[in-house]
Amino acid sequence: MALVVFGVVTIVFVLLRVAAGDPARLMNPPGQQEELVQLTRERIGTDRPIIEQYVDYVVGVFQGDLGTSFHGNQAVLTEVMAALPNTVALAVVTILVSSIIALALGIAAALRPNTALDRGVLVYVSIALATPSFWLAIILVLIFSVRLGWLPAIDMQGPQSFVLPVATLTVALTPVLIRTVRQSFLETLGDDHVRAARARGISERRVILVHGLKVAALPLITLVGIQAGLILAGSYVVESIFNWPGIGKLTLDAVAGRNFPMIQGGVLVAALVFVVVNFVVDLTYAVLDPRIRLGYR
Amino acid sequence: MTDVAGAGTLQLQPVGQSRRIGRRLRRRKSFVVGVTGLTLIIGAAVLAPWLAPHDPMQQDLMATLLPPAWVEGGSPDFPFGTDALGRDVLSRMMYGARNSLLIAFFAVLIAASLGLAAGVTAGFSRSSMDALLMRMGDMQLAFPFILLAIIVLGVVTDRTALHIILVLGIPGWILYARVVRSRVLSEREKDYVTAAHAIGAGRSRQLRKYVLPAVWQVVLVIALLDFGFVILVESTLSFLGFGLTPPEPSWGSILAEGKRSMIVSPWLAVLPGLAIMLTVLAVNLTADGAADVLDPKLRKGVFRRRRQQDTGRQTVTADETGAVAQDDAAGTARRDDGPLLQVVDLHAEFPFDERSVYAVRGVSFAVDRGKTLGIVGESGSGKSVTALSILQLLDAPGRVTHGRVVFDGRDLTRIPDAEMSRLRGRQLGMIFQNPSASLNPVMTIGSQMVETIAAHQAGAGNRTDVARAALADVGIGDPDRVLRRYPFQLSGGMNQRVMIALAMIARPDLLIADEPTTALDVTTQAQVLEQLVAVTHDHDTALILITHDIALVHEYADDVIVMYAGRIFEAGPVRDVVRQPRHPYTKALLDSVPRADLEPNERLRAIPGELPDPSKPQPGCPFAARCAYVMDICRVEDPPLIEVAEHREAACHLPALPDAPPRAPSEVSV
Amino acid sequence: MNEILLEARGLTKHYEASGGFLGRGGAPVKAVDGVDLIIREGETLGLVGESGCGKSTLARTILLLETPTAGSLRFAGEELTAERAGELRRRAQIVFQDPYTSLPPRMRIEDIVADPLIIHGTVEAGQRSARVRQLLDDVGLRSMDARKLPHELSGGQRQRVGIARALAVQPSLIVADEAVSSLDVSVQAQILNLLKDLQERHRLAYLFVSHDLGVVKYVSHRIAVMYLGRVVERAGSRALHERPLHPYTGALMSAAPSLHERRSERIRLRGEPPDPARPPSGCRFHPRCPIAQPRCAEDEPQLQEWLPDHEASCHYALGEGS
Repeated sequence: MALVVFGVVTIVFVLLRVAAGDPARLMNPPGQQEELVQLTRERIGTDRPIIEQYVDYVVGVFQGDLGTSFHGNQAVLTEVMAALPNTVALAVVTILVSSIIALALGIAAALRPNTALDRGVLVYVSIALATPSFWLAIILVLIFSVRLGWLPAIDMQGPQSFVLPVATLTVALTPVLIRTVRQSFLETLGDDHVRAARARGISERRVILVHGLKVAALPLITLVGIQAGLILAGSYVVESIFNWPGIGKLTLDAVAGRNFPMIQGGVLVAALVFVVVNFVVDLTYAVLDPRIRLGYR
Repeated sequence: MTDVAGAGTLQLQPVGQSRRIGRRLRRRKSFVVGVTGLTLIIGAAVLAPWLAPHDPMQQDLMATLLPPAWVEGGSPDFPFGTDALGRDVLSRMMYGARNSLLIAFFAVLIAASLGLAAGVTAGFSRSSMDALLMRMGDMQLAFPFILLAIIVLGVVTDRTALHIILVLGIPGWILYARVVRSRVLSEREKDYVTAAHAIGAGRSRQLRKYVLPAVWQVVLVIALLDFGFVILVESTLSFLGFGLTPPEPSWGSILAEGKRSMIVSPWLAVLPGLAIMLTVLAVNLTADGAADVLDPKLRKGVFRRRRQQDTGRQTVTADETGAVAQDDAAGTARRDDGPLLQVVDLHAEFPFDERSVYAVRGVSFAVDRGKTLGIVGESGSGKSVTALSILQLLDAPGRVTHGRVVFDGRDLTRIPDAEMSRLRGRQLGMIFQNPSASLNPVMTIGSQMVETIAAHQAGAGNRTDVARAALADVGIGDPDRVLRRYPFQLSGGMNQRVMIALAMIARPDLLIADEPTTALDVTTQAQVLEQLVAVTHDHDTALILITHDIALVHEYADDVIVMYAGRIFEAGPVRDVVRQPRHPYTKALLDSVPRADLEPNERLRAIPGELPDPSKPQPGCPFAARCAYVMDICRVEDPPLIEVAEHREAACHLPALPDAPPRAPSEVSV
Repeated sequence: MNEILLEARGLTKHYEASGGFLGRGGAPVKAVDGVDLIIREGETLGLVGESGCGKSTLARTILLLETPTAGSLRFAGEELTAERAGELRRRAQIVFQDPYTSLPPRMRIEDIVADPLIIHGTVEAGQRSARVRQLLDDVGLRSMDARKLPHELSGGQRQRVGIARALAVQPSLIVADEAVSSLDVSVQAQILNLLKDLQERHRLAYLFVSHDLGVVKYVSHRIAVMYLGRVVERAGSRALHERPLHPYTGALMSAAPSLHERRSERIRLRGEPPDPARPPSGCRFHPRCPIAQPRCAEDEPQLQEWLPDHEASCHYALGEGS
């Protein structure tokens, strides 16, 4: 796990220095004199050999020091810690809303396959999967902010400002979730043990809610992991459009400014989130599923 | 990444059926719509240089930010309006389509090639190589793909299409690799790979000729879905400013402009996004349609019981309780005398796309209280479907199309669902073939037993005590230990005994056992069957034992029914039937079972030919093609099941069965 | 007696266990634990036992499809080592149980049957097609089946293809690993008869592995009974049937349902089949044995010839007094 995070950060470190030009030069107006550029280089530390920069950085990370921003002098760590809660808030609300919708629609569709309800759900899934989230965000802003003036378009100011970003993210998330829920349920309901439970006279309601759900629910735990990943990916776009002061916007701005330490900070956070969430999901799965817990071969 | 994880479970049909596949594809509306849309869009993109009304780079500062032609202020010169520099939006969109589609195509090509190679390597070579590749994949998946793209493209100073293609394509390998790897791993386990090894094929030949052909088609389906995804990502990148450097047109960058002029000219924001959405939708529909047709996923059970509609052929009235008012010659079915179960002319079928499987074609029999009836048949005989029909557990689209199942005075095919549910477990029970799969894998035995006990309010006193007693009743010596366990921790024989105990909890009048021991070892089989017969005798429960093994029925049943191709060929007390069969099939079946008293050079008399196809019923007797006693009438007229002696029935045109068949059956498979 | 074709001594195959805390450290599963076997030319040795006895593992190890952990193999008098496995491929073949997974799903029948010919170069390219047709004919398939794909054939037909494939190299030994167990009864008899005919025609030896004692008796000249990785009884087919010496054999025979009236009470086994990773002490069968004595828990019996040409590994093979 730690190895993965470590590997990720290293790769990004290398990639940045390979792909970008000299950040010191790009931070100065074009045609600037070499001595002034050199000054910048010294300030931001890119005049040292790469290995030294790398080792310095890694050591720093273990000490909790994520470096200093190339622009200005703020500690990367401080910036990141300031931005993280905003993204987390967005994520939590989105996960709640998406999960409820996905469970409701997915289960309902699985219980009545090939009916109008099921087909409607699948149509929604198809369309939502095809919708570019940045476009949806703009449309929503156009309708609800510009034309109707109901909701704020940008910035994080109070509960109403959550609505549009959450809506955008939800539309991006729900199709994948609904499909997974529906599929899991459909398969479970066709299992032998469900039929055997019916044969024993267990009521249909109990068969679905207890036998069906217990088995179908397990793969859904991994959905939380998927959601975390999808939200993280979506945050870059959504936070940018809505000017939401979270990790996504922080990272994007850093990229635009070739602010290496900040970029690395953003990547580190993203990797950590992914890895931790997936670890927790695996652990939960192992605890809840007796077959894993008790070593089923 | 998109959820194409579902694609890992695809089982693709062989290419040899390409014509049939083509037809089914055309039949699926979604696929047709998708392909049509895709063709139009690709066509517009490819033909852009000839179709576009203007040069996409040409600026006209006199005509900036014009709305589309159908809005007031627009002009037919610029059908979709113009952007902030007066460039024609439609032309830019068409050229933008070219860019987007080309980039996506090549990116997918790279990803698919890399992924296929990696997946095959990981799946087929040593575990260390596999582990290495999967670790790399894990690392890559540890942070969002789009971030990687943003970072790389963001810091590169002069972005070209090649940069974008590489950034979008190379990381995509893991998506394909995972699925390919899992397919390769599962194919590798199959016997045909071992067979290739056995005939002397080296690893590379095994891979090339045997495994790869079974695996590579998955890549196509994933590639289609990925194509749509990449289009989305590319346009997102353009929108954020990390796409092709301007003034190259792309949908994303047009949209970005649109955002800036959103208030003044909203159309600039709407139209390109619509184009993206429609393109990706077309791609997804195509992919879904293709995957659905190429994947014969068994539409397993959606359980929806279809009550029989009164066809008007039999005048049967069902009052509130579903009690049958008899009107036909089958006789009265009253509560206390007469058989416990009477099946009358049962027909059941499974409609599929173009045809139906006629599983049960006119089956009639009766079971008395406390007796054991064996139903013997090979695959396709309809014995399991008959059993499921009795309990009304046929998964849709299967349904009973004709006939009656009269149990204790009621026609089970016509009573309301709620009433049927009450009957199940209480008066009618069923146990199935695979005991470990028939128990809920994540609930302990104890909780499943208590649940059933509660559902029927069976037994007196503490439910756990009742459960313990029920387990002891089927010969489980250590009930407490078993109650605490999960099904996967117990053996097949143990699980089957648990199933029997569960089925007997409410002391049903009838228990149906569908191949209860087929999945068990011989010694365990004997234990379980003895237990089954003992416990049903103890509680005066009638038992229907369904099996393919006629010797089993001979040991454990009182009466037997021999089924073939959805029909009953013979019925009667089992000893009599075995000693002196009245139907050629029964006789042939008995002759083809290896017996201890055969001389060393004597051959079994095998039945030539194959079992008939249940979706293509032929006129006449279904056994005619294989019967050693066949006469002309057999191919034309279906012999009815008639009484040939007391308590003996047979469906054959021959009045009696001579000892030796007129001709020796040939060995050629028909 | 015919010449010895294949001889195995002390053949052993262990697997690493997947049990234990972190997937390591579990005891190895001794799937095959010291087996001696002799198969003679033109003869069928039946190998019978229930699940977990190791018969399938043994079948594959004999063909060097699995590498033995210990023991020796001789084929036609020559020592067989892992490096010489390639030579074995022309002289010994295998037919599998599941007709649905034993044929490659995307290859045509004629290609499946032709591949061994191509690999070993035994037939020139021009003659191949004719040889394939002949093989198909030998197993009772029609030439119009040659261009079909496996899923277009029935189970019985697919088994025939598997047999044709095995025959292509003209082997002297064919291992049939539950080759008829997945077939319907009426088709089973066809394939069994086919195997017998082929044996006569081509002087084939078979190792016929099955859990079905009745089927094994029908095709075999000699039978070996396996339990938990060991051979517990070995005799001629008729001798075994007339007087089983090992209690497990007796239990197997009496457990099988019969079309004749029962002569005696069924022999009932106690308890559950054992875990191959943790075999019982002493005689492996003793926890379930109806005639077990105290000695059986400590002292593991070896295969002994209690009657002429009839071996069993039991202290009380000839009754409680022995």
